[in-house]
Amino acid sequence: MQEQDIQALSEKCAKLETQIARQHDTVSISTHQLRTSLSAFKWIFKMLLDGDTGPLTPEQQKLIEKSMQSNERMIVLVSDMLNSLHVEDLSLTYKKESVDLVALIDEVLFDFSSESFKRGVELLFLKPSPLPLLHTDKDKLRIVIQNLVENAIKYSNTGDKVFITITEENHSLILSVKDSGIGISQEDQGKIFSKFFRATNAQTKEQLGTGLGLSITKTIVEGLGGSISFKSTLSEGTTFVVTLPL
Amino acid sequence: MKKILIIEDDTFLQGLEAGKLTKSGFEVKTATTAEAGLKILDEETMDFLLLDLMLPGDKDGFAVLEEVRGKKDYKKTPIIIFSNLGEEAEIKKAKDLGANDFMIKSNFTLEELVEKINELLK
Repeated sequence: MQEQDIQALSEKCAKLETQIARQHDTVSISTHQLRTSLSAFKWIFKMLLDGDTGPLTPEQQKLIEKSMQSNERMIVLVSDMLNSLHVEDLSLTYKKESVDLVALIDEVLFDFSSESFKRGVELLFLKPSPLPLLHTDKDKLRIVIQNLVENAIKYSNTGDKVFITITEENHSLILSVKDSGIGISQEDQGKIFSKFFRATNAQTKEQLGTGLGLSITKTIVEGLGGSISFKSTLSEGTTFVVTLPL
Repeated sequence: MKKILIIEDDTFLQGLEAGKLTKSGFEVKTATTAEAGLKILDEETMDFLLLDLMLPGDKDGFAVLEEVRGKKDYKKTPIIIFSNLGEEAEIKKAKDLGANDFMIKSNFTLEELVEKINELLK
């Protein structure tokens, strides 16, 4: 390649990087503004439902409950869209660093401790003996673990346990998240990684959700050079397995 | 009565937050800019800081956090970042600068905020 070509290419790269950074800022600011309005709605609906401004008629109560549910769906959608955009925008810029997977899982589980407690689902992390560090993108891997743990909690029943394990095999770390929740029907199993797809039983169990989580998860795992698979039986539970190269 | 300072530039949200915290038994002070908030912290000792990140003027919430943690009297005062930002990098930066927690406003009700504050004040 000629020196001129190299220079032209690096100029193009620099321009692209600036564009991506600008897009990122726009998305970040828009998300912030959207969330600000959604927060206000959420808090006001809650105040109204709690009777802070006086008693409601049954009809008013029902309407506000519906509005609150709709608002919650928007909040989830904004977060999922943000994650989705980041995954697509930044797929060229996975940044690698040394990552202690056990410590990262501990952080994620800590973040979900109150949610799992609220739903009566126990998170059990079976810690392995010391494992080698991964050379991967920590922030993106965190999204993967968050999505899998969040799904396992959401689709479990009260009193269920979620098991998280890691093993080392063939120069890879294998992360497994196993729940004994609602499971995925045979019919839906081929579609769960598609954008915006939500299984019927998932929609019944959990109204909030956009169908973006697993699509984002798969994109990231593959971007990190790994793979994701699952086994599921309807009404018995699901196990997701993520293989990450060492 | 525990004293809480809210630094939040959106006066509507600030009003809702302050109302809930006052009803929950806290003495609440408010500021809409970093400078005004830092002035309050210098004038009287607060037990808790609820801090937004996007603030008008030269200093954002991160700058406030860094400055507050540099003050002798506020090394261990619980601080929650209460913001509608919330990317991993922002959460990490806030925690590295000494925030006790990072809560994305839209993901929590004000009751959950009060629970978290009480937990950190224990």
